Amino acid sequence: MAAEAATSDQPGRTDVRVLVLTGYGLNCDYETEYAFRLAGATAVRVHINDLISGRERLTDYRIMAFIGGFAWADDHGAGVILATKLRHHLGEELRAFVRAGGYVIGICNGFQALVNLGLLPGFEMGSFEREVALTYNDCGNFRNQWVHLRALGSPCAFTRDIERIDLPVRHAEGKFVASPETLERLAAGKQIVLKYAKPDGTPAKGAMPWNPNGSLEDIAGICDPTGRIFGLMPHPEAFNHATNHPDWTRHRVLGSARMNAEGEGIKLFRNVVAVAGSG
Amino acid sequence: MPARLEIALREDLFDAEGAALVRKAADYFGYRLASTRTARVLTLDLGLPAEILEKLRTEIFTNPVTEVSSFEPLGPPADWIIWVGLLPGVKDTAGEIAREAIEDFLGHPLPPGETCYASKLYFIREAETRLSAGVSGEAMERLARELLANDLIHQWRIWRVKPGGNGDERPQWNPAEGMGVITPKVVLAHTPQVSEIPIGSEEELLRISAERHLFLDPRDAPAIRSYYLRPEVRHARGKVGLDLPTDVELEYIAQARSDHCNHNTFRGLFRYRDLSSGERAVIDSLFQTCISQPTRAIAEKKDWVISVLWDNAGVGRFDDKHFYTITGETHNSPSNMEAYGGAITGIVGVYRDPLGTGKGSKLICGTYGYCVGPRDYDGPLQPRLHPRRLLDGVIEGVRDGGNKSGVPTVFGGVFLDESYLGKCLVYVTALGIMPSEIEGERSDRKRTNPGDFVVVCGGRVGKDGIHGVTASSSIYTENIPAGHVQIGDPYTQKKMHDFLIVARDRGLIRFITDCGGGGLSSAVGESARFSGGVEVDLDRVPRKYDGLDQWEIWISESQERMVIAVDPDDCDAFLKLAERHAVEATVIGRYTASGYVHLKYAGKTCAYIALDFLESDFPQWEFDAEWTPPVQRGLTEPVISAPSDHDACLLAMLGRPNIASKEWIQRQYDHEVQGGSVIKPMIGAERDIPSDAAVLRPVLDSDRGLAVAQALNPTYSRIDAHAMTAVTIDEAVRRVIAVGGDPAHIGGIDNFCWPEIRFDEERNPDGKLKAAQLVRSCLALKSSCLAMGIPLLSGKDSMYVDGDLAGPFGERHRISGLPTLQFTVVSAVPDVSRCVTMEPKRPGDCLYILGATRHELGGSEYYDLHGETGDSVPTVNPHEVFGMFTAVAEAIRSGIVASVHGIYRGGIGVHLALMVMASRLGLDVELARIPCADDNGVDAVLRSDRLLYAESAGRFLITLSAEHAEHFETLMRKHVAVQVGTVTDSDRLIVRDLDGKPLIDLGCAALRKAWKRPFGALV
Repeated sequence: MAAEAATSDQPGRTDVRVLVLTGYGLNCDYETEYAFRLAGATAVRVHINDLISGRERLTDYRIMAFIGGFAWADDHGAGVILATKLRHHLGEELRAFVRAGGYVIGICNGFQALVNLGLLPGFEMGSFEREVALTYNDCGNFRNQWVHLRALGSPCAFTRDIERIDLPVRHAEGKFVASPETLERLAAGKQIVLKYAKPDGTPAKGAMPWNPNGSLEDIAGICDPTGRIFGLMPHPEAFNHATNHPDWTRHRVLGSARMNAEGEGIKLFRNVVAVAGSG
Repeated sequence: MPARLEIALREDLFDAEGAALVRKAADYFGYRLASTRTARVLTLDLGLPAEILEKLRTEIFTNPVTEVSSFEPLGPPADWIIWVGLLPGVKDTAGEIAREAIEDFLGHPLPPGETCYASKLYFIREAETRLSAGVSGEAMERLARELLANDLIHQWRIWRVKPGGNGDERPQWNPAEGMGVITPKVVLAHTPQVSEIPIGSEEELLRISAERHLFLDPRDAPAIRSYYLRPEVRHARGKVGLDLPTDVELEYIAQARSDHCNHNTFRGLFRYRDLSSGERAVIDSLFQTCISQPTRAIAEKKDWVISVLWDNAGVGRFDDKHFYTITGETHNSPSNMEAYGGAITGIVGVYRDPLGTGKGSKLICGTYGYCVGPRDYDGPLQPRLHPRRLLDGVIEGVRDGGNKSGVPTVFGGVFLDESYLGKCLVYVTALGIMPSEIEGERSDRKRTNPGDFVVVCGGRVGKDGIHGVTASSSIYTENIPAGHVQIGDPYTQKKMHDFLIVARDRGLIRFITDCGGGGLSSAVGESARFSGGVEVDLDRVPRKYDGLDQWEIWISESQERMVIAVDPDDCDAFLKLAERHAVEATVIGRYTASGYVHLKYAGKTCAYIALDFLESDFPQWEFDAEWTPPVQRGLTEPVISAPSDHDACLLAMLGRPNIASKEWIQRQYDHEVQGGSVIKPMIGAERDIPSDAAVLRPVLDSDRGLAVAQALNPTYSRIDAHAMTAVTIDEAVRRVIAVGGDPAHIGGIDNFCWPEIRFDEERNPDGKLKAAQLVRSCLALKSSCLAMGIPLLSGKDSMYVDGDLAGPFGERHRISGLPTLQFTVVSAVPDVSRCVTMEPKRPGDCLYILGATRHELGGSEYYDLHGETGDSVPTVNPHEVFGMFTAVAEAIRSGIVASVHGIYRGGIGVHLALMVMASRLGLDVELARIPCADDNGVDAVLRSDRLLYAESAGRFLITLSAEHAEHFETLMRKHVAVQVGTVTDSDRLIVRDLDGKPLIDLGCAALRKAWKRPFGALV
């Protein structure tokens, strides 16, 4: 299944292999695979069961993507059962993968899975401690909207050269929650990667709709201390084409946009493919 | 003893669900609650020791950062505690997933019967100004019954926490015991049995039909009886050990003959008479005359039309390598009884149609349309669910069904009208995409062959979903058995969807169809027509629990199932692939060429029906249709002068429920998953104005797109359903043209929802008029489609939009829904980067109006504002407007226009306001320049309010730079196109009268405030 590698012969293709985890209600597999493909990687959609059964091996990949969707319908908490299953069946392999310098991205449901796995914030690598959580939006409902994000100085391998970016959020449980001590530790370790902002780039300060879920400190994405593991609620893979942006038709008329161009979300994928390919 | 695990958010975290309950209690019932906290309850009916349960609690079911949990009652402070759980047998996905997670954790399967149940606790604190306990107890009962639970699927308990018998009977909460342990286990102490049913006379058959809720049409009774009396049938049945009809057979026949499955109405004979002109016509099958024949004729000329009129969805060409599939459905009756369950089952169900089209297509988007009673209805009638609650449930059902399917919900609409108090309408539309070839064969072609295995995959069969189609072919009364209320499970279906797409690409699928209305009986029965017969072992069909009768297995509509024909050589690979995807797939029989549907249970035949019997031998339904034109029905134009306060009038129009912002609905629908969003459902500077249509890129590495839109204008049916239909088609087409659709590639989906059309002096005295409306609607459909070259790629009819509602004196009122057509349009977009949106973009641009405005206000929003209907309903000349659409498409293609917006319900005034709100720019418009027409042609003069609010069809508002004006006017030379104003940087809408004085002068903020007033606070 899954294992249909993207076989486009685009120039600039690297030999970086990306595992895009699928199955059990996850649903952003095609566009995440496509985003990595645009970034020059060889992306493969792999079913969770094929990874557990050993049919596919993590050691064959440099990057692992935990994608958006509703794993196990998000019943019992978003990302919870996926995390339990992976810790239970693949704990050692995951630990070995990150220790060996592998890169991990968790988007939306994938971010929720990473914090439940304890791969994020990952103060102690591979300890699988749950120290932060993504809980119900303050508005009490699922929301799909675009947000403005600003990147903070962090070691994150995905956000190099990005200061601000617009991306869509689509979730019911995206409110970032942690104890004051944990928040402080995240800030001190420069592990806070993305924050929700106002259109002019100033902090959202918790205000709707700029901060769409009530996240503490406007946190939209964090990384582990090494910067190789990254989780975020917004969807960079959904900004893969210029026409994904909500303002694109205005930008075109006003002459401020290139059409048929790659979307800005692909920058995140290009960044990691570049460092993974060089390391 | 089962264990009860309670899980709640930590006390210091905001409980959004509790807060929502507090808000709704105040908004809906005026109850002031201080706070509410919620807890999830998992009842674990498992034979596991305490230390394992404790591990499950900490390692799976409790988030240490945000949650607390306990096997003892959590008991946060409360005045009242309400528990809500499901009734036995109701789909409990959360419970099933808990079981799945536990099995995975343990590393071995749990014994059958060991189950988990999910439910909810609400801890409610009253506000200081409390009512007496007796009154609060009733308030709690109302919260439970009308907000938290539906007695068709839920059970609930209410406890008071404070002691003291202040007249309230409800039990006191015992903090030590808590809610106790409630396990809604299904126990059917029943041995499955096939009954033989003698049908000695037609009366006996009809009596059986009534007893078993078969809803057989009396005219079908002779055909059924004579079938069983035929010597060759008796002989054939004797050879398989059958004599009298069995219950399995009669249930099967009733399913197959239901109007829902068989479209008896649309295939009926209509004797049409115009009571005014005396004109008469006989139409033999509306389906053949108005849908099938025109579509075939158009398909001949359009090489992009790949497959129509037979499969689960229509098929069109997307590009050289891909086909798209599209279909539309309604799910009215179930939603009317259990809004959430009905709607989620509807959307998840329609997603199986593209999946079951050709050899299977991957879902790419869905749309929705809801028609319900007024959200603030406080009249004397008592619908089962208040429209506000009904709408909430429907919205949430489609939200969960769509979002959890991973399919973007890209477009939709809501229409509120008292006529839908009887029965609500829930339209759901689905599109899919598939490679045009699979292993060298066309993907749209499929057949079953004798010898192929019959495989069912996905969910299991239960008591839920019995008699869905027969119930939807009837009018809502309280006696309809509720067994057909279901709760769709997008999780199970998403796993199945992903598996089937892989199986398809490996060439493992010969034929696929969905198990929808009629269950296996319909899916297997219809697929057997290709091979010429089928043999099924009903005992091999996976069941949720024991004790189901054979007929229940055969007809239950339990959801999330597909039927696939698999080559026996491929079967092993197919089943193994299913297992890798955690999808249940089971061989239940073989296709044959016997000419019979042959059902067995434990080796013994329980049904044996000739395939051709269900297609033939039945009498055609017949209807008398009598048209009384609107004037003869007493409809006249109201006598109202133009208003002197045009600002206030426009603001009132913007706040009308059918015009006002409904952002809260679309905002909760994921409309961008799959990464191909081009034109979103809401656009503009604040991203909250409804767009004309949605556009998506279903193949990510292609710049081709699909534009999708729909329209629905039922109020015109108060005057004439012919006009309603013509305007609705015009609007839907104009919507996709407005964003950049290709006029040469427009496919339509017709979804009819009509009140009962059979005349009955007592029960349906205007039945002949309703029948005539249907005829007129179909004729308009035919002529519009032929004029615009629109093949009907798919469509559906739901014919009993009526309800009998209780009134204030114990009497009951028949409420018939307005004759309603939702028309959905799909169009190809050759290059998505050429698409346009409706907001003006540049100050200084010219504003044009295309198309003439006429004195057409009958059935309009403006007349409705004044409580009037009128008779000047908009009319359409489809040839003429389509010529203009082609010119507009050319202007968009050439890149000279900055914005394009159709003028729809509410007229020019409302749509100018929407453009201002979307742009943060202003518009300055001269009323006198707006082109008008009367029956004699252009250049009539219309009054200001008529100009602003007439709903004439075929009109656009377009902005473009002055440098392109000449080019644009050349393109439009054969059409009415007049520059009526300019785009300003003022953030205001100014409409000037003949003297240049502002008749309307309103800022964007005032417009927005009025437009968001009714629903802006909803989340």
